[in-house]
Amino acid sequence: MVQAMEKTPAVTVERRRFTPEEYHRMAEIGLFDGERVELIEGEIVQMAPIGPAHGETVTVVAEVLWRLFGEGYRVRVQMPLSLGDSEPQPDIALVPGKPGDYRDAHPSTAVLVVEVAQSSLEYDRQVKGLLYARAGIPEYWLVNLEERCVEVYRDPAPELGYRWRRIYTPGETLTCLQKPDSPINVDALLV
Amino acid sequence: MTMVQTLENKPVVCAERRRFTPEEYHRMAEIGLFDGERVELIEGEIVRMSPIGPAHTVCTHNVFSCFQQLLGDVFFVRMQSPLSLGDSEPEPDVAVVPGKPSDYRDAHPSTAVLVVEVAQSSLEYDRQVKGLLYARAGIPEYWLVNLEDRCIEVYRDPDAQIGYRSRRIYKSGEALTCLQKPDSPISVDELLV
Repeated sequence: MVQAMEKTPAVTVERRRFTPEEYHRMAEIGLFDGERVELIEGEIVQMAPIGPAHGETVTVVAEVLWRLFGEGYRVRVQMPLSLGDSEPQPDIALVPGKPGDYRDAHPSTAVLVVEVAQSSLEYDRQVKGLLYARAGIPEYWLVNLEERCVEVYRDPAPELGYRWRRIYTPGETLTCLQKPDSPINVDALLV
Repeated sequence: MTMVQTLENKPVVCAERRRFTPEEYHRMAEIGLFDGERVELIEGEIVRMSPIGPAHTVCTHNVFSCFQQLLGDVFFVRMQSPLSLGDSEPEPDVAVVPGKPSDYRDAHPSTAVLVVEVAQSSLEYDRQVKGLLYARAGIPEYWLVNLEDRCIEVYRDPDAQIGYRSRRIYKSGEALTCLQKPDSPISVDELLV
């Protein structure tokens, strides 16, 4: 992710935003073939390429969650969520359900969303944090590869974003709201 | 153009927006994505054009008629029609282009001898973004009819890096000429409404 504003003049015009339905039609005619894009508040943004540390961390976190939750939940990796005028693809979305439940529509909420970030930290904190809070997702983990910690956000408020944040560092354990009795080592999440 | 401070509610950090090529933009139009809307492609971004108010409409017609009379026998005078400028496809209020209408059956003009924008709310956008766009395309002359301050800003001497090097402002009561017809003065009041 880059600071896309840097070369824009002080004055700007209203960009045409896209609805999820328009975004899907654009995808259907092949406009985004071979690209990683997501729809964020009506804007189509490019996602950063997945580096090896990012890819491995996503896989490790998915495995931890899968072992912890098992049946009755789906651990969706880099799949879309349908959140109003946005269709983000979080690194991990933990959603209730069984195989086949989301064949016809992407999940419109999640019990936990995880983003793994290196270069996109501020974007994931601010834009994604507000987006997930507005959707009422009770818990958002930001695995911060830059500072080697896990930022846990809870208590979503539509206007303010997440009211509660705690940063967990290596050596500590954290728990998921849905499984408060199952501590997870921070070191097991960071690779 | 409506100027909306799109950043006002936005955090300082932003992701890179997906830009579109003219070809992609045309395919989106073909599937009806912009039906009934006024949009244009500016440097790969699809932006909304503001609704055309009555003063804007009348002024555009004045400018169109003026150039039709003055240059219509030699040039093709187009109103609110696309120009194909690299990764942009703006629709200036008036564009005077070489040739005749049938020359542009298969492709929009890629240059113009003169481009005119009529502006009220979108002044700064038309000055900065459009000015640089037209200068980069090598369009020798750009007129900005400023309805807000009731004057005409004439930009000349395009430079691909810095935009138009020269600007002169003509007020009500004055006359100006275009580069193509330096001996035919046009009264500012004839164009303003």
